[in-house]
Amino acid sequence: MMRAATSSGKPAAVWVQAILLLFALLLPLWGGAYWVHVGALLWYYALLASSWALLAGFAGQFSFAHMAFAALGGYTSALIVLHMGISYLPAAIAAGIVLAMVVGALIGFMVLRLSGPYLALFTLAISEVFRMMLMAEEQITRGSLGLQVPRFFSGDSDVPYYYLGLALVAGSLLFMGFLLRTRIGLFLRAIREDEDATRASGVNTTRYKILVFVVTSGIASMAGIYYAHFIGILTPNMLILPEMGIVIAMAVIGGIESLPGAVIGAAIVYLLSEALREYGELRFVLLGLALILVQRFARNGLFPLIERIGRRPAPARADTTAKSTAEKSHAS
Amino acid sequence: MPVDQSQSFFSADGLAKHFGGIKAVSELSLSLNRGEIIGLIGPNGSGKTTTINMLAGALRPDNGAITINGLNLAGSAAHAFARSGVARTFQVPRLFRRMSVLENLIVPALSDPHTRRAQAEEKAHEILAFLRLDALAGDYARSLSGGQQKLLELGRALMLDPALILLDEPFAGVHPRLLEQIIEHIKQLNQRGLTIVVVDHNLDAIRSVVRRTAVMAQGRKIADGAAEVVLQDPAVVHAYTGSRKARNG
Repeated sequence: MMRAATSSGKPAAVWVQAILLLFALLLPLWGGAYWVHVGALLWYYALLASSWALLAGFAGQFSFAHMAFAALGGYTSALIVLHMGISYLPAAIAAGIVLAMVVGALIGFMVLRLSGPYLALFTLAISEVFRMMLMAEEQITRGSLGLQVPRFFSGDSDVPYYYLGLALVAGSLLFMGFLLRTRIGLFLRAIREDEDATRASGVNTTRYKILVFVVTSGIASMAGIYYAHFIGILTPNMLILPEMGIVIAMAVIGGIESLPGAVIGAAIVYLLSEALREYGELRFVLLGLALILVQRFARNGLFPLIERIGRRPAPARADTTAKSTAEKSHAS
Repeated sequence: MPVDQSQSFFSADGLAKHFGGIKAVSELSLSLNRGEIIGLIGPNGSGKTTTINMLAGALRPDNGAITINGLNLAGSAAHAFARSGVARTFQVPRLFRRMSVLENLIVPALSDPHTRRAQAEEKAHEILAFLRLDALAGDYARSLSGGQQKLLELGRALMLDPALILLDEPFAGVHPRLLEQIIEHIKQLNQRGLTIVVVDHNLDAIRSVVRRTAVMAQGRKIADGAAEVVLQDPAVVHAYTGSRKARNG
């Protein structure tokens, strides 16, 4: 009979994560400016993909508004710094994150009764409304011309951004992982499985659904702030649907029910996208093909495949046999 | 455990629920004594599941009161009902399918913020042993057979330490040998003092566990009393068969 995974006994996955972390830490020493830049941008997507995995993969809230929170954080921080000066950067960052969390709570409250395609469409609409506002309010946001944003660090090197991004990813993974190991994580997974049954189990699902929107909106806004002060320009294009699609593809390819899996998925998709850059728009076709293949042959993503390596095989009995045996033992 | 049935601790008064122009339940009143076990029966579409949903807080009644230990919970959320001691199962088991059997059980226990995980797991293992599911604790809930899923859902309800448990069609689609086991579990739980409402179409199984039966038809309660008497009531026979003749046996 199929055994449920436990949090222990994943030596292969632990080793893979340790090796990847070591590789990430050492990359700036030999990778050159190009790969450091690519890596620093990869952390932006890794933050978004992992936080979206928490929202959609663990809590079952399939939201298309994730990029909107990244943009909200980025624009808020950028506008405060531009209007009040770079000395207000810490306050600007805090304001961007807090505002995104408040809006996340409001959206979480608004979508309490929505699920599946209705939730997806509602959040897509919110994201599009926000994108159109950014386009239309040119006197504030400079519309499609883009908002020039002061960078975090002086100098041309991307190495400080690379390590900042890596620290943000590591910190957010630790925080989200901790959250998932508490009863909150258990309740989120129960909500994903069956919200009515979770309520009937005494869990205030409203509280936890809003909480997961608040947490993931905060992390998405952090990603947006990092992106804004790293790239130095913000345009409404960061909210376009293909950007959201890429984040979803990253989480799905890596493993939507695994936070490290989403980060690995982000690395695979983003690096593949960079490697295929010479093929222009055709690379999105190839990425789509990769997504189809993963869904066909590894429905839960690539990371669970790594997790299975080295794990003890399940008891060698077929599901049907196990069921009938167990049922007989009950009946007798 | 001796059961004191003198005290009514749960009552529904004048419950009504309309869906658009359809009256699903009208003027339904039901009073339960502590430790009582009651069958709620009726033909398809009579309003039984709507009633269960209202009694469990999953549906907000349009009118009426639902009182437990003197506290009116009508209009409260389902989790408030659960935390007040009203547990339920569903017509078709609604488990957390991609979670383990053990995890399915500890969710209700941990909904009490004062319960630690180790305590919840200890209690879950006790209930799994009672239900004879302890060998399956680490299995995914989705891999259980239909009968085992019904038992697991019963176990999940028990994890709330409920005063009242609402069982929606616990006997439906269950292998006859497992049916006997479910009946036995229900009897044992009632002997421990748990108040139970059983909704089902299997009248023989209902009669084997309950002493009192309430019958619904077209959203109204048409009979309430001793099971053997109620099942001979011409109104009940008419609701089921369209005939005024009493049913033998």
